[in-house]
Amino acid sequence: MRRLWLAVLVCVALMTASAMAAPYVEQEDLTPSTKPVRGGTLRLALPASPQSFLFYGALDNNAYTVIGQTMTGLVELHPVTNAIRPGLAESWEASSDGKEVTFHLRDVKWSDGVPFTADDVIFTFENFIMNPVAKGNSVDRFTIVDTSDGKKKPVRWVKINDRTIKAVLPSPFGPFYMNLSHAYIYPKHKLESKIDKNRPDSVNELWLTNVSPKEIVANGPYRIAEFVMDQKVVLERNPNYWRVDRFGNQLPYFDKLEYLIIKDAEVRLAKFMSGEIDYMAVAAKDFPVLKSREQAGAPFKVFMAQPTQPTPSPVHISFNYDVANADLKELFRNTDFRRAMEFLLDRQRIIDEVYNGLAIPGGGLVLPSNKAFYNPKIEQIMRPYDPKQASAILDKLGLKNKGSDGFRLFPNGKRVEFTLTVASSPKDHQDIALIFKEDLEKAGIKVNLQILDATLVGNMFGAGNFEAGIRAFGNQPDLELRKAIWQPGTQLYYWHYSTLDRDKLAAITGNMTDWEKRLYTLFDLGSVTTDPAKRKAIYDEVQEIYHDVVPVIFVTKEMNLFAANKTLGNVWQDKQGVVYFSTYTAFRQ
Amino acid sequence: MRAFIARRILIMIPMMVLASVICFWITELQPGDFVTQYLDNPRISPEQIRLLRERLGLDRPAHIRYLMWAKAVITRGDFGYSFAYERPVGDLIWERMGWTVGVALLTVAFQWLLAVPMGIYSALHPYSPLDYTLTVVGFIGISIPDFFLALMLMFLALQAGSTSVGGLFSVQFIGAPWSLAKLADLLKHLWMPVVVVGMGGLAGLMRVMRGNMLDVVGSPFITALRAYGIDERGLRRHAVKNALNPMVSIAGAELPNIFSGTIIAAIVLNLPTMGPFFYNALLNHDQYLVMAFLMFIALITQVGNLLADIALAFLDPRIRMS
Repeated sequence: MRRLWLAVLVCVALMTASAMAAPYVEQEDLTPSTKPVRGGTLRLALPASPQSFLFYGALDNNAYTVIGQTMTGLVELHPVTNAIRPGLAESWEASSDGKEVTFHLRDVKWSDGVPFTADDVIFTFENFIMNPVAKGNSVDRFTIVDTSDGKKKPVRWVKINDRTIKAVLPSPFGPFYMNLSHAYIYPKHKLESKIDKNRPDSVNELWLTNVSPKEIVANGPYRIAEFVMDQKVVLERNPNYWRVDRFGNQLPYFDKLEYLIIKDAEVRLAKFMSGEIDYMAVAAKDFPVLKSREQAGAPFKVFMAQPTQPTPSPVHISFNYDVANADLKELFRNTDFRRAMEFLLDRQRIIDEVYNGLAIPGGGLVLPSNKAFYNPKIEQIMRPYDPKQASAILDKLGLKNKGSDGFRLFPNGKRVEFTLTVASSPKDHQDIALIFKEDLEKAGIKVNLQILDATLVGNMFGAGNFEAGIRAFGNQPDLELRKAIWQPGTQLYYWHYSTLDRDKLAAITGNMTDWEKRLYTLFDLGSVTTDPAKRKAIYDEVQEIYHDVVPVIFVTKEMNLFAANKTLGNVWQDKQGVVYFSTYTAFRQ
Repeated sequence: MRAFIARRILIMIPMMVLASVICFWITELQPGDFVTQYLDNPRISPEQIRLLRERLGLDRPAHIRYLMWAKAVITRGDFGYSFAYERPVGDLIWERMGWTVGVALLTVAFQWLLAVPMGIYSALHPYSPLDYTLTVVGFIGISIPDFFLALMLMFLALQAGSTSVGGLFSVQFIGAPWSLAKLADLLKHLWMPVVVVGMGGLAGLMRVMRGNMLDVVGSPFITALRAYGIDERGLRRHAVKNALNPMVSIAGAELPNIFSGTIIAAIVLNLPTMGPFFYNALLNHDQYLVMAFLMFIALITQVGNLLADIALAFLDPRIRMS
């Protein structure tokens, strides 16, 4: 009851706040502490120097980590739950046909004091997001199929006044807000004069690593203060940040946020244990050491959390439906065969032996912690380890006869044998391959392991040049963002490339199986549906199909493990196992 | 002498051209290119990949790209730009040169100042307990991989309660203006990279010095000098001077090692030097960055050999004569 009242209070507070154009009040889940302290320095680790300070000029996760602290978009994702919430736009409303969305922009200033306006939004879309030669552009995410004529058209932005802007969509588009949360807005007043209009790719040369931090202005919680080559990136609080805590204190609490650049994972761990780093993600293999130190009284706390992050990427096993060998091709396309393979996958053993017990089974499409889209029904569909049942299915498939070496034979007398391709790193993929091979061989199927350099393996998968393989793709809060992988006929649907016309980059529905056609339709439907309940129903079906006919077999997803220095405030774990932490609500106790 | 140096410098030009061809060819042998790493990223569309490849010129055949690169180097002294950082590779390497050279010079000093006296002592007191001890330490130094030594030293330092592990400064001094406290902090961190990077070379040098010295001490001219009645100190001076000659050639060959031979140790020790940067560039297929780095190493190798030859000529009149 108290929670409900609080929720109502927060809602009322939010509504009055937006009516008065007051700063945005952060929710209680990120600011539970009643006695926050302002000041001090938060120290985190970064594996390598950022390659650029311009989000759209880089394809680099280290750059994204740093820029994510300084920049934000019209809408934002809650840093932990991934729920969509207002960012630089304090509110918006969509027209009844869903094709026009009007955003009311927050009355805020850039970190250098210049007011933020609709011109900045239009400038960002024109020069960066919709610029095909900007290295990190998002043309694809804002080009939408017009359902009336089937052609792809860009989203149009119309300025109404300085504080109001309208997006005109060719068709209603469900993941529009999700995509907007990845569209950071950049300052026109700082950048426009530096772009060479005759050379659209000159945008990639803006705000590189040698630019003076004074040139880089921010609209997020922090701004860049200093970059010491290969040693650290220093951020300081953005004096004009618009988010406050429940008590009216301006966020962030910390004066400074420092990223120490540490390439080696062992050194990062050592620095965390010696207290130089305040918070970090931990690998499953390091968990036992840290936990025992914690129990021995070390000044940090280790959280074992439900997976909430895209990485570590969940692992899957794939079989190439277009493999050259005709016997294997028929077998791999047979849904019963793939189901038998799932019965032979000992997920529990993999979780125990490879991940120290710190992983969940499956987890390939949508994470259980994702309240918006997870379909719990798949837990019943996912097949348990059951070699007997697998054997029965294989017998029924006509693979009953065995040769003198004990391996099953095709009806034509050839041995049932295939190559399983796996990258040499990360190591867990290899370990999974070994366990899977062992169980398959016990069931009479010969598996040849091919362990190669990760780049080479990536190339082989990308060219459809493999028999069976082990690979991993990260999760995202919305399946739309993973359409390029899981929708048949896309460039990463690599186990059935005959569904894709590579020259036109178009799907060939004629080559799809019935369930693939259904998946194809569902993904397109998910894009143009805006009603959240209907979208959930669509993606529920996608999850059920994936787990029933197993186009690929999802193995495991490693849990997210975090370790935090005990002096940090506002870091906590809820009953579901989700850890709450953000760089702008944490403080030093 | 001048003609000798001029000839050597002229020979360096075709050598560098040949080195550049080989280096380029080897970077091409690596499967994939810079764009390959983005192929399995669903955020990046195939269209984006195509445009990126076009913009970076990766859609052109290798020999054309090589000729374009070579032309820019010769006509403009432009070694290309980094695909990842979008900046000229010269600038990127230059930014990291300071710490790289600094750590390298200290390491060289550490090696030589310890190795030469240790080698001389060992040779003059052969088969003594201290000689055996130095020999054992030397062999351990040669055989232990530097990154492993780094990990062990870091572990021991952490166990001993030290927090100055990895990097060159404690966090509060990174980027701070120079002060006595900062210098002290640097010294607290610096011993470890110097010992780790220098250890392998130190042991090798010591063994070479010991071998040379033993050779020279037993040679007839020393016996002759002794017969003339020269005291032991004077004898030692003559012996050391002769035993140093091969060391000079070694010094020349050591020079490129200092820049490139310690990549893994530098990663483990978290040093802001060129090694880890080069390693990253290799992994990313950042071709022009890799090329510039390799060319730099090739040049340093040649310059090192040239300097060693010149130094030898000064030290040893017999070489000058021929």
